[in-house]
Amino acid sequence: MLDLQNVSKSIEGKTIVNDITFSVQKGSCVGLIGPNGAGKSTLVKLVSALEKPSGGSIQFIGKDVQDWTVKKLARHIAVLTQGGLDPYPITVFDAVLMGRYPHLGFFERESKSDYGQVDEVLNITGLTDFRDQMLDTLSGGEKQRVAIAKAMVQQPQLLLLDEPTTFLDIGHQKHILKLVKDWQKRDGLTVMMVLHDLNLAAQFCDELVLMDEGQIVNIGTSRDIITSETLEKVYHTNPEIIQHPTLNIPQILL
Amino acid sequence: MNSKHHKLWLWLPIFLLILMATMSFSVTLGAANINWQLVWQIIFSKIPWLSDWVDVTWSDSAETIVWDIRMPRVLLGALVGAALALAGAIYQGVLRNPLADPFILGVSSGASFGASLVMVFGWQLMLLGRFTLPAVAFVSGFVSLLIVYFLSRVNHKVRLETIILAGVVVQSFVGACLSLVLSLSNEQLQTIVFWMMGSLALTDWSYNQIIFPIILMVGVLSLFFVKELNMLGLGEEVAHHSGVSVQRTRFVLLVLASIITGAAVSVSGAIGFVGLVVPHIIRLLFGADYRVILPLSIVGGAIFLVGADAFSRTILAPREIPLGVITAFLGAPFFGYLLRRAKRGYF
Repeated sequence: MLDLQNVSKSIEGKTIVNDITFSVQKGSCVGLIGPNGAGKSTLVKLVSALEKPSGGSIQFIGKDVQDWTVKKLARHIAVLTQGGLDPYPITVFDAVLMGRYPHLGFFERESKSDYGQVDEVLNITGLTDFRDQMLDTLSGGEKQRVAIAKAMVQQPQLLLLDEPTTFLDIGHQKHILKLVKDWQKRDGLTVMMVLHDLNLAAQFCDELVLMDEGQIVNIGTSRDIITSETLEKVYHTNPEIIQHPTLNIPQILL
Repeated sequence: MNSKHHKLWLWLPIFLLILMATMSFSVTLGAANINWQLVWQIIFSKIPWLSDWVDVTWSDSAETIVWDIRMPRVLLGALVGAALALAGAIYQGVLRNPLADPFILGVSSGASFGASLVMVFGWQLMLLGRFTLPAVAFVSGFVSLLIVYFLSRVNHKVRLETIILAGVVVQSFVGACLSLVLSLSNEQLQTIVFWMMGSLALTDWSYNQIIFPIILMVGVLSLFFVKELNMLGLGEEVAHHSGVSVQRTRFVLLVLASIITGAAVSVSGAIGFVGLVVPHIIRLLFGADYRVILPLSIVGGAIFLVGADAFSRTILAPREIPLGVITAFLGAPFFGYLLRRAKRGYF
């Protein structure tokens, strides 16, 4: 579904992403991990066509992402950004409704079915009680749920997440990722997410891409990637690695 | 359905009624004593079909005062107020800056500079005749915007911080040019200064005829972008990911807003405060949804400026106070009051 071929990006002579090649299969969940400055967020920006690569190509369902119009691409790819939604004083309902925008024609009004979809998604994400509340009165976790709801009504095939859980407490972290996981099961969604938390990455992703200094160090399952040798090479620290008691995947202790 | 539309359909007619009342009241003000019934009778007598129902019982001089002297001025006030408030609302939304007003990108300095050149050198371009002043002011205002825009274009992208800084740079440079022209001019100095403070005096129907189609066209066009303006409110990256082509939308909206600013400034000078305060008042009273803000700002700006003009004509009559002074006197305290009252931190 998504094919990256020798993708590079440099800004003012500094190489941030260097010769990246990998592909993402339909319905899978790929986690991008690596230390700060590894180029993970930039890679997400390149895939969402927010920035142009300096070299290589990114094919999405057979067409370079740069060749899509912004609106058409938004029908297929939704993004949860690191910063989330700005605290703009509009209602949760109106904010989520904006996810329908790429499916509307120029100056086309939202129809009954669009409103219905928004209400359905508010129900799934547990936001029905917040429907008429202003966005700027919500907490960080609630706002991130609104962002997920907005992405859901966008009905994408690919969801990109850039550290969706960074500012959230463990309860909200789990909740957000569970929403994504359920959605993936329900609709066969493809997910690519940047995660800092290696334990969450091991739990929620089928495949991990470990990056360092703009390059891929290793691609594989959590068992291939979360090993003390690999992690020490990249993060320059030596964490303890244990088995998760029920999920049978590696987890780290600092 | 959501509540925003109900809000608009409730308040838009109320705003329009207030505008009608303010305008007809403003026409009654002045040295000659004319009541509002007479005003409406004269207006109706000018409208085809309706004119059959009205008996002419008034003197020719009353008709001249109402129809040829006061009406054009009041109507121009409404148009200029609507244009400036709409432009201000668009600038604030696109630049995501609460301090943005129609003059932030140098449109008014450019226009003032052009106008001052016309006044000092007494140009009358052949084809344009007495429209030379508005035409030159409009073009020079628009040229300043283009300079600002291309100054702030780095790597094919215009960033918000750069565009506002570029606006400041161009404004101060053009402002210096203007000061130079002012210091070199002698007898025209007072005319230029008065023009810069803004005035609706010396208007007849011809000014209305130029600016009305421009404002109507841009007003309608800008209403096509209310959804995009709301989405920009959630952040530019978020807007991009939801399918808004941010760079293009921003360019189109800035050009639209600058066209109406240029049109307004070219016929009435730089009337400050309307474009800053009116959209804020609407926002504080009715919320941040541009589907509501744009239409109500248009009508609200018209009401505000017609009212301010009525003050400027009557307070020290027969002397007129510059309109810009009145808009600041009226707008600033009311705005301050609303700011104190508002609980919300967001602009």
